[in-house]
Amino acid sequence: MQDDYVIKTEDLSKTYGWFIWKKKIPSLDKLNIAIPRGSIFGFLGPNGAGKTTTIRLLMDLIKPSEGCATVLGMPPDDVKTKHKIGFLPDAPAFSPYLSAYEFLNICAKLLKIPSSERKKRINEVLETVKMSEHVKSKLGGFSRGMIQRIGIAQAILNKPELLILDEPLVGLDPHGRLELMEIVRDQKKRGTNVFFCSHILADVERMCDRIGILYKGKMLCIGTLSELLSEKGTRLSIKPGHDNMAKELMVEALSCNKLPDGSWELVFPENNAILEKIRNTKEALAGAITVSASKESLEDFFFRKIEIAKKEKSS
Amino acid sequence: MNEIMAIAEGTWRRILRMRVVYFLILCVLILIASAYNYDVLSMQEHKPLMIDVSLVLNTIAVILVVISMTFEIPKELREGVASTLLTKPLGRTQYLIGKVVGTIITGLIISAMIAVGFFVIFKFAFNEQIALAMLQSHILVMASIIPMSAIAVFFSVFMPEMITPIITAIAIWFSYSTEKLIGVKFLYGGILPDLGLYNFKAFAVYGGEQMSWSYIGLAILWGIIFSIFLVTVSSLIFRFRDIK
Repeated sequence: MQDDYVIKTEDLSKTYGWFIWKKKIPSLDKLNIAIPRGSIFGFLGPNGAGKTTTIRLLMDLIKPSEGCATVLGMPPDDVKTKHKIGFLPDAPAFSPYLSAYEFLNICAKLLKIPSSERKKRINEVLETVKMSEHVKSKLGGFSRGMIQRIGIAQAILNKPELLILDEPLVGLDPHGRLELMEIVRDQKKRGTNVFFCSHILADVERMCDRIGILYKGKMLCIGTLSELLSEKGTRLSIKPGHDNMAKELMVEALSCNKLPDGSWELVFPENNAILEKIRNTKEALAGAITVSASKESLEDFFFRKIEIAKKEKSS
Repeated sequence: MNEIMAIAEGTWRRILRMRVVYFLILCVLILIASAYNYDVLSMQEHKPLMIDVSLVLNTIAVILVVISMTFEIPKELREGVASTLLTKPLGRTQYLIGKVVGTIITGLIISAMIAVGFFVIFKFAFNEQIALAMLQSHILVMASIIPMSAIAVFFSVFMPEMITPIITAIAIWFSYSTEKLIGVKFLYGGILPDLGLYNFKAFAVYGGEQMSWSYIGLAILWGIIFSIFLVTVSSLIFRFRDIK
């Protein structure tokens, strides 16, 4: 029977160290998440939040101090489940003496891909990550971006049911980032569930349909992007040449930006009285001012949540 | 089994790709051949000297292969190579066995190259048949890599990268000195293997008599049993270890 959740954790905690060397503050503190099937989940958090610790627990590279987790309905140490998982670590490292093909061949053997299909599948994934011309090159001579591409190739080699990517965009040039996002979207179309951890919020916003924000080992919020980034006010766009009007209004605005073309963007809280007045001004009627619903960006949401968490911690 | 061989393949390919390995084999063969020139200095004892040098250098080559593995496992764990492999359908015990098998295969290949090189030099220098005792002594040197690899894996799973090779080298040295350690029961026939079982230089150098094949078979079997025991212990430790 298929589990409804690809990843589920219950009070999952990790405190590094052992015996008297055990650290006082846990790296992960009673994490409870349940990620449903068919989603691209973005796992966010500042450095040291516990993202990589969570991923390592899910991949059975480290053992939990407390709590438990299931991946595809099975405990993380279940070897058979690993046939259905593709994983890209945060800093992929491979034996430098092996060629790209030899390394992927070893991975294919571990994944029990039949020998008759191995060569074809390896060439396919190398083609996907645009590394076909480096098939015989030694991994030791590869750049960070090339290593990242090989890392992605080994992660999708087994056509996984769950793809766990830890900082996949690091080391990739803008072109490579676009290609990777395309690969991830393509994987989703094939029915792969993606668990994605990144610092590049704009990319996460573009790719993920669900996010979770982790801070100092605790989950701050989790949900779909549409739930979390709800409408937070009213956006006012003022065309160039109306600077006086903008300066008058900015006193009551939540945020105010002058754009390079000379136009202004102001965000007001919802139901602000000033908006009603503006709607009837001659500038508004002349089309110099447009009023629209303002949606918080993931970046703004992320920083707001972190700020609140910081204040709560310090108080 | 496929998983173990895949890990073993990665190990032997890595070591056998290093040009320094072939340079060292060449140096070893040059040193063996140069023993021929000690006929005057050693009062015509250059033949036993050459046999002795070949066995000593072959043993050292095998030890070097084993020591190289004591660097490899902690390095793979530190750099994240192991974590990439262990997220594949591969048990931690299979990973360790793969490393041991890879080291044994590498050691056998290198040791066989040295032994064959020596036989060619010996034949060329003395124009004599290769005595069976010489062949058997080299086979035993090759077989000694089995318990030695297990010792290396054992220390590699819980010791830091810089200490493991030193401790492994000390353990191997103790294992070759078991006769002197008979009084220390814990070490002799205990956690350390008796590598004296694989040392039949005297036979090859002076005796010229052959030893029984059953003895060689039993020595190899003992090495395998000891390795299984030590890899099992290593696996229990490794299973609970956090991998970075």
